[in-house]
Amino acid sequence: MPLPDYEKKQYKVTRTMPGAWYLSNYKYKFNLSRMRIMLRGFKEGKILGVKCRGCNHVSFPPKLICGRCLVMPDQWVTLPDTGSVATGSGSPRTDQETGEIVIDPVILVRQDGADTVWIHNLPENYSFHDVYIGMPIKVHWAEELKGLWSDIEYYDPIEDMGDKINKEELAKK
Amino acid sequence: MERIGIVGYHQVRPELDLQMSPYECIFTAVRGALDHAGLKRKDITTVISATNDYYDGKTISNCFKVSAGGAYMKDESKVEMDGAHAAQYAMFRILSQNHKLAMVYGFSMPSCMPFECTRILELDPTFDRPISLMNSYSTCGMQMRAYMKKYGVSEEQIAEATATNWKNAAKNPLALQEAQKADMTAAEVLKSDYLASPLRELMYPLLGDGCTALILAPEKQALKITDNPVWITGVGNCQETYYFGERDLTTSLSMEKASEAAYKMAGVKPSDIDVAELFGYTACEDIILAESAGLAEKGKGDSLVAKGCLNPSGGATSGMTPCATGLNRIIEAVKQLKGEAEEHQVSGVKKAIASGQIGFCAQNNIIYVLEGGN
Amino acid sequence: MCAKVQPAVISAGFCEHASKRSDVNMAELVNEAVEDTITKAGIEWKDIDCVINGNMPAFEGANIPELWMTDHMASKNKPFLRVTTGGTTGGSVTIAGYYAIASGMYETVLAIGFEQQSCGDTSMGLASVALGEFSIMPELGYEYNKIVSNMGAGAAIGIASYQAMSYMRRSRATEEDLARVVVQNRRNAAKNWYTHLKMPTVTIEDVLDTPYISFPLRYGMVCPATDGACAMLFTTEEKARQIADIPVYVNGVGSYSNESAVLAADCAGAGQVDPSEQLGAMKSAEVAYGQAGISFPNKEIDYAEVYAPFPNQELMWVERVGLFEENTAAEAYEQGITALNGELPINCSGGVNSTNAIGASAMERPAEAALQIMGKAGNQVPKTVHTALGHGWGGAVNLITHLVMSDEPQRKFKGGR
Ligand SMILES: [Zn+2]
Repeated sequence: MPLPDYEKKQYKVTRTMPGAWYLSNYKYKFNLSRMRIMLRGFKEGKILGVKCRGCNHVSFPPKLICGRCLVMPDQWVTLPDTGSVATGSGSPRTDQETGEIVIDPVILVRQDGADTVWIHNLPENYSFHDVYIGMPIKVHWAEELKGLWSDIEYYDPIEDMGDKINKEELAKK
Repeated sequence: MERIGIVGYHQVRPELDLQMSPYECIFTAVRGALDHAGLKRKDITTVISATNDYYDGKTISNCFKVSAGGAYMKDESKVEMDGAHAAQYAMFRILSQNHKLAMVYGFSMPSCMPFECTRILELDPTFDRPISLMNSYSTCGMQMRAYMKKYGVSEEQIAEATATNWKNAAKNPLALQEAQKADMTAAEVLKSDYLASPLRELMYPLLGDGCTALILAPEKQALKITDNPVWITGVGNCQETYYFGERDLTTSLSMEKASEAAYKMAGVKPSDIDVAELFGYTACEDIILAESAGLAEKGKGDSLVAKGCLNPSGGATSGMTPCATGLNRIIEAVKQLKGEAEEHQVSGVKKAIASGQIGFCAQNNIIYVLEGGN
Repeated sequence: MCAKVQPAVISAGFCEHASKRSDVNMAELVNEAVEDTITKAGIEWKDIDCVINGNMPAFEGANIPELWMTDHMASKNKPFLRVTTGGTTGGSVTIAGYYAIASGMYETVLAIGFEQQSCGDTSMGLASVALGEFSIMPELGYEYNKIVSNMGAGAAIGIASYQAMSYMRRSRATEEDLARVVVQNRRNAAKNWYTHLKMPTVTIEDVLDTPYISFPLRYGMVCPATDGACAMLFTTEEKARQIADIPVYVNGVGSYSNESAVLAADCAGAGQVDPSEQLGAMKSAEVAYGQAGISFPNKEIDYAEVYAPFPNQELMWVERVGLFEENTAAEAYEQGITALNGELPINCSGGVNSTNAIGASAMERPAEAALQIMGKAGNQVPKTVHTALGHGWGGAVNLITHLVMSDEPQRKFKGGR
């Protein structure tokens, strides 16, 4: 769509020096002590979150520092493999074969029992129109568990009892 | 000005390659400062951080540091200069009476960043950057040459002052381990290679990863928290022009104006000052800053180093953490006033000054007048 | 002991904004805004005691650019501070200006926010927000193509689309409602002299005709990347009365920050489960209103400028800062309450949706709010404005700035802290 009545002013052009920021020269440090325990749990098919003794907030993936109490949480809890969609979005991409624009759903998952969210995916070709907030989902484990982030391939949508009851009641009316 | 008390501080000991993640490092400093003051996180009402996006290698680098800095649901802001500048912003907030206790921290991790490259990005992008003649080394060299020429100071005198800094760093338990050179001599300094003549390798400080946190409180609160707080009674801040052609590198106009303002605010004279902890990149810059602050006659500043009242902690030579060095200087001055600086304690310290800077050849200086006692 | 000083705004100025201001360099761009401010105030450069400024440095490839821009900022041989907090930079600089006066340390303070995005790489700059986190993810076993698709939408737009989904789910706002906000903003921008995207005849259909950039946001709804600068002049109550016809008093400020949304430090789980919940904004608003003595913001505030690069945020913020009841903002926009001649006009300057010079944007909000009170705004509302609000957000939707301004000074009550 050509944007209507958008006046683009012409200015004189002077010498321009582009600024460059070579980020490849940088290194980044991480403390993976918490993350490693989570990944070790993945290898056993367990989902481990870390709980702060001060405020009882459970974070998954585990946090190093609880900002509310300013302590390092260290109490590990096993979380169920179910969760819900906290919120979602659609990220458009061009299909390599057909050249069509496909919109993949990207969701923020809140694991049941956790107070934090993380970014994950739904099964391939799942329509983003069907995603709604609070949608119950379940971990889809990879065939071989390697103790890596990719052990959780994606989240499977599961039957939403609440939604079903709502719909049944609507149908009765 | 109402006095502002320094009630708690903590410095993570700098290391060349610190085995901590950035957030962990900030957490350690902030937690340490709270523990030092005997306070809880909920007592803090505002948090001012001093970090730099270019030093952290990411845009809006402060948005993830909120939790680690104890700023969750606190009035928070960031000053992208030296930590000492952040302390001034915290003072604004306390003096306005909107806030009670302020946490200030300065952090950077030079082992992860090309520090000299980020300094080149501070240059004027249309002229100075493309010709690539100006950098940290060459500007320090120019400054040193100008100073030596004007006042007839010899290279040996500068080397002697530098060696004293290294020796002082050895007495400072919070100095970088690699900077603790107890048997450094002027001859050894003069033997090291040139970085940019007359600046030699051993005249330029080592960079260390670290974080420093400071807790400031208004007068009433400070007296409740601790029996012997150290008071900030004056502050001065000044930025001079950038262009080297307009500046007299043998002196520091910004330091002159800043110290004038700070002394006026505190009601002291330069002769009242017992100890100075100044942030200069080189021993020569320390001397220039001290002279500009009125502590010594022009060209005679190296006697201050010999006397031991300029940078008894070793100054930036004891390990430079960009964004935190100014805060480190304040902490060292506080220790001198409290009599807690063990091996490098100067006796009978009543009033001290501490400074922070940014820019080439200390283009912007901030100086604090600190006083001990109730 | 010095008493608390009442800060006042006596002038605010802008440079002309455009997508590429290649006729000037960064320093000259800033200088335009500074000149505009100082000339309007009728004071001289030497009267300024302290300068506070900020921008988002990573966008221009210049670290601490004020070093070489000193002379262009009226700051030679003066106290100087640089405050940067990402998207809220402008707001944080404004708040720093407020505190510099309120502390009693300085009498006249110039606050400057600027950005020349055309000489840098904005998308690279924004992508670097979590570059460290992205760099460790492959090592933890996060597949590269997933990082690209999940985070690629990344940074501001990514977070905004999650926020939009949450907000639309809660409030039942439709895409049409979002488009209506865009139309109001861009038509307002056409009447304001310095703005970037001027579209006096844009319609809801035009906006809904554009493709998705990240569901549910479309290209036509998203803010532009602008070159621009803004400056404000703060002074004490006594001095403001002498200098300005209608001084604007800053009565309340707040900038409370929440945990980050979507992604947290070291790849951990993010603490904001619902990015449209905005605890930080609510707390900032509460504190600022408390300081200003405002009990019913929806009745007492006459004009608001909220920082909304994306239309869903404008609806969300006006609810979150207490101007409208929960989930009623979309309706209010439909009824024209927020239009130029409405009961509670919002973003009559065109907002961030029409002009986004990032380092300046959050300052343009309080600046425009102040100008509306003075009666000197580019797109002045017909009714008299007594109390106005300037708001900003940034970071991972966790940093907030909030300023309440009025034509009357704060009612002071004597007492301890
Ligand atoms: Zn906790």
